[in-house]
Amino acid sequence: MSDTLIGFAYGGVTLFLMFAGVPIAFALGATAVLFMLFFMPTSSLDTVTQNVYEEMASITLLSIPLFILKGVAIGRSRAGQDLYSALHVWLGRVPGGLGVANVLACGVFAAMAGSSPATCSAIGGAGIPEMRKFGYSPGLAAGIIAAGGTLGILLPPSITMILYAVAAQVSLGRLFLAGVGPGLLLLTLFAAYAVYKYSAEARQEKVAANASAAARRPLLAFTFREKMGALPRILPFVILLIGVMIALYGGYATPSETAGLGAVLALLLIAMIYGIWTPRELRPILSATLRESTMLMLIIGMSLLFSYVMSYLHISQSAAMWMVSLHLSRWLLLAGILMIVVVLGFFLPPVSIILMIAPIILPPLKADGFDLIWFGVVMTIVMEMGLIHPPVGLNIFVIKSIAPDIRLRELVFGILPFVVLMLLAVVMLCVWPEIVTWLPKAVMG
Amino acid sequence: MDVSEAGEAATVVRWANRALARINAVMTTLGMCALVAASLVLTHSVITRYVLGYATDWQDTIAVFCLVGAVFLSSAHVQSIGGHIAIEALAEILPPRINRIRRVMVLWCSFAFCAFFAWKSWTLTYEAWTEGYRLASSFSPPLSIPYFMMSVGMTLLTVQIFLQAIARRPPPPALEAPTRPVGNV
Repeated sequence: MSDTLIGFAYGGVTLFLMFAGVPIAFALGATAVLFMLFFMPTSSLDTVTQNVYEEMASITLLSIPLFILKGVAIGRSRAGQDLYSALHVWLGRVPGGLGVANVLACGVFAAMAGSSPATCSAIGGAGIPEMRKFGYSPGLAAGIIAAGGTLGILLPPSITMILYAVAAQVSLGRLFLAGVGPGLLLLTLFAAYAVYKYSAEARQEKVAANASAAARRPLLAFTFREKMGALPRILPFVILLIGVMIALYGGYATPSETAGLGAVLALLLIAMIYGIWTPRELRPILSATLRESTMLMLIIGMSLLFSYVMSYLHISQSAAMWMVSLHLSRWLLLAGILMIVVVLGFFLPPVSIILMIAPIILPPLKADGFDLIWFGVVMTIVMEMGLIHPPVGLNIFVIKSIAPDIRLRELVFGILPFVVLMLLAVVMLCVWPEIVTWLPKAVMG
Repeated sequence: MDVSEAGEAATVVRWANRALARINAVMTTLGMCALVAASLVLTHSVITRYVLGYATDWQDTIAVFCLVGAVFLSSAHVQSIGGHIAIEALAEILPPRINRIRRVMVLWCSFAFCAFFAWKSWTLTYEAWTEGYRLASSFSPPLSIPYFMMSVGMTLLTVQIFLQAIARRPPPPALEAPTRPVGNV
């Protein structure tokens, strides 16, 4: 049987098992074991568990549960609401400032929690009702939160990026820094759109029903005292963010130690500020962390076994050679690969996408002269789009659960402009790659 | 199988489910402790290096062991609450009867894989124990420790899936793809 046929069979069996509903981790592992049985020496079956353990027992990969712990600890406290309220006070007088406050709160929270759904839930829970109260259309309010939440996988420390760094064998520190510029770019684009759309909606309303619209969209005036009083609410987040970044980039801690330190700091903060410290209060946090980590780490372990078998059977090498033999222009190749990522994003979580396709797509991209750190960031933004566009769009479901009265149609149409903005950001990163590469070079040389 | 035999079998399954739920609760608590321990150990590593001024090399290994243990030992509990995500697109298209058969087939397929993995984990643990495999570092703890946790975890997971399959009761679909909990993943 040729490599190509084996490759098609491998892909076919994987898709069959996944679409039949076998949990992703077991589907990947079962396919790998099945093909080891038929196409590899029998002795290879004896090393299955050792392979999985050795791939998983990387301290970099195992920092993921600790980053999740930090995110869940922050996400389950009142931190999101406090952060949002403080930004609200400072930006209340700016037209569209409430939208901007929500976007910024999403960005800061995402950087702390590292999770899109947690960000949507924590900021959106308070932000969406507040925005609607002040005249934002339901679609715009939902779009702001859904799009802001996606920053969780772009801003450091991002779990998606940890996996990409392992799969592409690039520096995790550089990759984290590379996400900052594009993250700020997306924050700016989202905030600018929120201001523009809010103003457009206000104008339309004014035309339709003069005075009443003006009354529904008041600018909020907070006193200087109130503004200063809101600052201590942001301070803990600033300490956590800066503390983790200093530990990582000041050379004090490795990424895994940073994860441990971040988790301890987060637990200390919620104990001191919100009084969450008893075993009974901590149990739901640890239980949710364990659930998410176990699910994720088993997918990662089996994805690595899946990739190992794919490589042993020359499937990834053949697919990569085939892509190179097409002699596509570098931008066409990039567009094709990003399309594949978008389609896979309809069904699969980013972790599986990265580990399954990295061995296939990275060699041709490298051969065409693409910087793999730059590509990692672009790919992450494209996967972020998968979080907010149908048919799956995880963040859509999170928003639907916190604001069930917003109709799905309104929600999707409210979110679509943000998908376009993300596409625009990808184009901007292609034209000006320095947005990605400047910061890592400036900090790490 | 007559009525009394069926009744006895149902009692055994109920007893097994209850016993496994208790074991899972213990394993989950151990996993939670391991998570906190790993965080503390890594924080200790930073503090000893930069505050107390000496470096040690055992922290990474202990953290890895804790986290491997946490992940595998809690995998059966995660299965019991439907936490291992799957693509459930077909569930909405297929007629209910066919869908029921599909879900049971999925469980048996998952069982076959996990049983194989558990079996191979135990053989690896036995080999590591009898041959005295150790990690290649100055700390060099026995590798049979993490292998043992992997074996226990995968065995519990296999038993959990088996009980769900014979009861024809798939895990609750709480965390299927549309509501998968990990966006950052």
